[in-house]
Amino acid sequence: MKIIKQIGIIFSICWVSQVVEKLLSFTFPASVIGMVLLLLCLLTGILKIGHIQEKADFLLSNMAFFFVPAGVSIINYFDILKSTAVQLVIICTVSTVITFAVTAWSVKYTMKLVNKMAQKKEKEHC
Amino acid sequence: MEEIVYSPYFGIALSILAFGIGVKLHQKWKTPLYNPLIVAIVLVAGILLLFKIPYEAYNVGGEIINMFLAPATACLAVAVYSKLAILKQYWLPILVGCTAGSGASMASVYAMCRLFHLDESLRVSLLPKSVTTPIAVSVAESAGGVVPITVVAVIFTGILGSIVAPLLIRLFRVSDPVAAGLAIGASSHAMGTSKAIELGEVEGAMSGLAIGICGMITVLLSLLIL
Repeated sequence: MKIIKQIGIIFSICWVSQVVEKLLSFTFPASVIGMVLLLLCLLTGILKIGHIQEKADFLLSNMAFFFVPAGVSIINYFDILKSTAVQLVIICTVSTVITFAVTAWSVKYTMKLVNKMAQKKEKEHC
Repeated sequence: MEEIVYSPYFGIALSILAFGIGVKLHQKWKTPLYNPLIVAIVLVAGILLLFKIPYEAYNVGGEIINMFLAPATACLAVAVYSKLAILKQYWLPILVGCTAGSGASMASVYAMCRLFHLDESLRVSLLPKSVTTPIAVSVAESAGGVVPITVVAVIFTGILGSIVAPLLIRLFRVSDPVAAGLAIGASSHAMGTSKAIELGEVEGAMSGLAIGICGMITVLLSLLIL
């Protein structure tokens, strides 16, 4: 019964998020609305982590499996893949390196700034 | 013969079997190249092509598996919630880093797509490629992208990121574990995170947080530009 209840909670959140998606005037993916709703429920204490722990662990730890059918549908798109494979590889590789560098640097400088401000505060306190 | 493969059990059983083989291979050779999802996709696609089984037949079961994608995405909230303490401690660097990283990822993909003259549907398929599969797929789908292309690009990025992460850390001289973890998570989502966990506890936690945060930021950014 415990697992059934957890499935019930998570599926209810998913259904509500589909309703919200329909009500919104712009396109916002329902699954991400579900994620925000669930986070809000946890933060506000409406749901306790124990209410969904096992089901969430099951879904998160098997996440990759749920993408098998989506990936297999690539067989319907072999033409696109064949004609653009080289470009796709270049785009993915270059942008991965750029994303890594930009994130690392921006975090580094933000941390420096935060530390400086903290030191300043400390000095003022002294 | 037709009715046999059009059963939902066929597609589900085949997917689980193929994924199980992928997991076994991954456990035996611990290389990111034997990614269970890639192995499963190749095996299932191979069997469908070999036995001339129509994709529609496989997808009777496939659609049932697809149904679990939304709940699985929602549960990323649990992953973020369980790291709330460090999120509070480092909220500013996390927010700045993930926003800059997601923006850089989308901008560089957009620029290169223009450079290679790729069409609109391919462009929106690739734009969210640095974030975790469920969010990338949702973004691409609602913008009219080709979902399987997104899946392939996301997995390729993840595998690449998990292989080159230690190299990039040295190349860009990232000495701070918080910066390293966030950079890995922002550039190569969950697959990179498995590498970040090997590098250290702080790296792993930061990388894990970056998955959810970058995902949400990418959705917001895509709303602005699509």
